[in-house]
Amino acid sequence: MDSGIWRKRPRVRHFGAINGRGLATFYRREVHRGFKIWGITLAAPAIRALLFAGVFTLVVGGSGKIALGMPFMEFLVPGLIAVAILERAFESAAFSMVYDKTEGIFGDLATAPLTPGELVVAYAGASVTGALIAGTVVWVALLPLGGQVPVAPLAVVYFAVSGALIIGLFSQIVGLWAPKWDYLAGVQTFIFLPFVFLSGVFFSLDQLPAALQPWARANPIFYIVDGVRFGITGHADANPLTGVIVTLVCIAVLSALSYRLFAIGYRFKS
Amino acid sequence: MADLMRKDTQTPAIDKTGMLLGPPVVRSIGVVNWRGLWTLYVREVTRFYKVGTQTLAAPVVTTLLFFIIFSVALEGDGRTVGDVPFTVFLAPGLIMMAILQSSFANTSSTIMVSKVQGNIVDVLMPPLSSAELTLAFAAGGVTRGVLVGLAAGTAMWVFAGLQLHDPLAIVFHAVAASVMLSLLGLIGGIWAEKFDHIAAMTNFVVVPLSFLSGTFYSIGRLPEGWQDVARFNPFFYAIDGFRYGFIGRADSQLWVSVTVMIVINAALFALVYRLFATGYKLKS
Repeated sequence: MDSGIWRKRPRVRHFGAINGRGLATFYRREVHRGFKIWGITLAAPAIRALLFAGVFTLVVGGSGKIALGMPFMEFLVPGLIAVAILERAFESAAFSMVYDKTEGIFGDLATAPLTPGELVVAYAGASVTGALIAGTVVWVALLPLGGQVPVAPLAVVYFAVSGALIIGLFSQIVGLWAPKWDYLAGVQTFIFLPFVFLSGVFFSLDQLPAALQPWARANPIFYIVDGVRFGITGHADANPLTGVIVTLVCIAVLSALSYRLFAIGYRFKS
Repeated sequence: MADLMRKDTQTPAIDKTGMLLGPPVVRSIGVVNWRGLWTLYVREVTRFYKVGTQTLAAPVVTTLLFFIIFSVALEGDGRTVGDVPFTVFLAPGLIMMAILQSSFANTSSTIMVSKVQGNIVDVLMPPLSSAELTLAFAAGGVTRGVLVGLAAGTAMWVFAGLQLHDPLAIVFHAVAASVMLSLLGLIGGIWAEKFDHIAAMTNFVVVPLSFLSGTFYSIGRLPEGWQDVARFNPFFYAIDGFRYGFIGRADSQLWVSVTVMIVINAALFALVYRLFATGYKLKS
């Protein structure tokens, strides 16, 4: 009797305001996608962070260089962790969507019983999950090279989650917009990477020429990196409260935009 | 009729619209199939040129970003390597890093894409010998490597101001390094079964070797034992010799790096030739 044949007639499944099972299924699929290629999503960021840390250790090597009032490596390591979190978040939703587009199954989103809000939450949840795991892996990998146990764990958690959320939402928007891999790679190389690399990961902003400093402070990613660094080392460039406000505003704007794009079926319903 | 017979060994007669006049003729090929070689080479170059923003502009942006990061983070305190300012030392290393990674990407991806899409047979079937295949693919990778090097070099020249000490050493090492990584890319592409394998080789072999071979520091900074290890890394000689061409100072001797590059390239060429000849993972 238990051979997989329907024993009862199939019934309509009812759900309330939120399709919890659909949400969980979609979230699981997205997270699983990231983990299936853990060599690329976890091991590679750890190797890259180790390379950067190793190269800077060798170049700076015992010259007693100080940044923001701490030894340079202590300054650098939280930045590298933030980069790993942000890169993983960027590569999550957008890559998944463009993959679905090239496979021709992206339109399935429009037929699944998921509201735009549920889609945004599921994609964003998967982005944050993947990014936090990548960040933890890189944190562990960098412990011997100047890493440390966070002095303000709550601040680390807040800025890591909000940073992953901001970039995860940005990634959704890019993924909806991009028709092909080329577009995605273009956004990554020409927009995302410059914003991340010039956000104070590798240098404190007072090392920049005075004319450029206000511009660097207009980069929201600066507040994420600075917040993570504050949580880990206790030293910050900007006021962490400013960072909290900036991140909250970014999350509100980006989630509204992403919600709107899913609601109108931007580039996937015609 | 006699007229057509006479044309057999030459190119067939074609009218203005490209239509054959008379029956098709056998094209006789000499020792080297020049037209086939050239066709495959043009295909390889067109392949990356069509997505120039990704293959030519992107490495330039990355190189500039690295340059900004390292110069802003480390230059302020008058850091020098030997007797040259750190930025002058750094610029050639970054150009070479772009060359190395581009050449590898070109040949490894062309084989991989053909395998995944199932059209690798279109490369194996035509009348191209193993040596011709190796040569055409490698030349495509070298073209991309050298073009990226020129573009990144121009950007560095604008932002960092490069000096020239020995142009011949620059050209030799740029080309030799492109050849080396193109051949390595071919080996990688032939060996790999999935894109993940290519990504793994890039992330775990090519990037670490190019980071750790003196791009950012003189290997004199390494602890004693590691200096010997670094001297076994062929990437080190590519970067060292290339940098010598700009700043006139090298960790190794010029003749050593030239010899190493020639020997390694010869060995790699022989290996790739052998892989194509035996059809390793390509023919069953």
